[in-house]
Amino acid sequence: MNESNLNPPPGAAPERSPSQPVLPTLPAAVFADTLPAPPPLPAAAHAERSLGEDPGDRVPIRGALGVIEAVLRHPRRVVFHLNQGSDISRLVGLLLLVALGFVAVYGAIVGSFSGGEQWWAAPLKITAGLAVTAGICLPSLYIFACLSGSAARLGEVAGALGGALALATLLLIGFAPVAWLFSQSTSSVAFMGALHLGFWLVATGFGVRFLKTAFRHFGLRSESGLNVWVVIFLLVSLQMTTALRPLVGPFDQTLLPPAGEKKFFLAHWMDSMEADGRKAPARGAAANRGD
Amino acid sequence: MISTQTDPVTFSLGPLLRGEAEVIAGWITRWTAGHTLRQVALIATGAGAFGAAMGSWRAPEQAAFAAVKLPLILLATAAGNALLNGLLAPLLGLNLRLREAFAAVLMSFALAAAILGAFSPLMAFLVWNLPPLTPGAAENVTAYSVMLLTLVAVIAFAGVTANVRLLQLLHRLAGGARGTAARLLLAWLAVNLLLGSQLSWILRPFIGSPGLPVEFLRAEAWHGNFFESLLNTLRQLWPEF
Repeated sequence: MNESNLNPPPGAAPERSPSQPVLPTLPAAVFADTLPAPPPLPAAAHAERSLGEDPGDRVPIRGALGVIEAVLRHPRRVVFHLNQGSDISRLVGLLLLVALGFVAVYGAIVGSFSGGEQWWAAPLKITAGLAVTAGICLPSLYIFACLSGSAARLGEVAGALGGALALATLLLIGFAPVAWLFSQSTSSVAFMGALHLGFWLVATGFGVRFLKTAFRHFGLRSESGLNVWVVIFLLVSLQMTTALRPLVGPFDQTLLPPAGEKKFFLAHWMDSMEADGRKAPARGAAANRGD
Repeated sequence: MISTQTDPVTFSLGPLLRGEAEVIAGWITRWTAGHTLRQVALIATGAGAFGAAMGSWRAPEQAAFAAVKLPLILLATAAGNALLNGLLAPLLGLNLRLREAFAAVLMSFALAAAILGAFSPLMAFLVWNLPPLTPGAAENVTAYSVMLLTLVAVIAFAGVTANVRLLQLLHRLAGGARGTAARLLLAWLAVNLLLGSQLSWILRPFIGSPGLPVEFLRAEAWHGNFFESLLNTLRQLWPEF
């Protein structure tokens, strides 16, 4: 090993060889004049500002339109007002009201596929299903958030969930014209179910992004607990669609399936696809007649 | 990021869940009857709600019985082992007083109960979606497996989380001595599992077999024990065992 690679012992100055020339000390100004100023560190350039630092965070959220604008364009504003604590129940109420209102509208689009009683039954069941899903998943969200180091109170957690649902359902409204168009032009229950499911998953993805933004400001140290909760939320929401069936297909005499007909959502999907497969030849013949 | 100030004296759920060791250590060393009452209330509510959700699959009466029995197991385990846990602490190198050891164990049980309570709406939703328990129904086997797996997952999550927090607390109380904290946790786990498993055996059923009547305690509650039953089950599976 080359001795010169070793660090000198602490406190002892390295000995200079007699043949080594003595170099003059350069003034600091030389470096200051010749070297350009270092660029700002990327981390510092993109560091997230704390809540309230941006004046836009402090703009009051007024009414349903204010809520829609805030969740879509200024999610930090929602988080800031949730954190302020004053009138938090009004904001949480507004967020939930917007979410339930939007999902009711989307529910009507879902019901438009079968028509008849489904015009009112589908929006009613979908709205109630979302409210119940949020209610039964809220306690575990609070627990997972706290276990991950978040300092959020239950009201703030409810507000974050309300904001996520408001954003997700707002996206569903965006998808509604597409869903309506397909509803009117296809007769496959399985296809429509898959389409609505796809829209719900995309919308939930954006809702989860909002939720994570909110919890980052609430001091979340790790997202793993939140990711587990997202899986639970998705499972509950998917099972809810089976528990409240039929949502897409025709109304079946009663609002809910009989008590004895309990099904896991995957089994229900399989059954729906099989039933749809049996009807496919007749649909194909009808479609060909139209050519 | 938002900073919150936590009252170091008042017992509350947030610091307990976040594992704020300094605050929790303060509760343990400055023990009050109020803290104990709050923790007992949390255990009664959280574990009670979970027990009710679990028992509701069989019958409403079973839900009420399980809502009483599940918190009872946690509280009876903490109380029954209070002396032993208190003795083990100084013997294994952590000079805790009897009431401090009791408060630490009760704190971990309260945390587990809070987690169970938060999952009770999900359990109730699962029960709502399972076919009802009827004697001899073939679909009961799958439904029972789903229920059992969910129960094991939730209870294991609550138990592991509570013990991780307890280990962090003991680590702090032991002044950073990791070995001492781990030894004491293992000893407490062993004695609490021993008593807790037998209490669970005596207080069975929690869900109840569809072929048997709904009752608070089985007639043969005091006959046999958990480990004997486990051994018999293993012998049925492997006769040479």
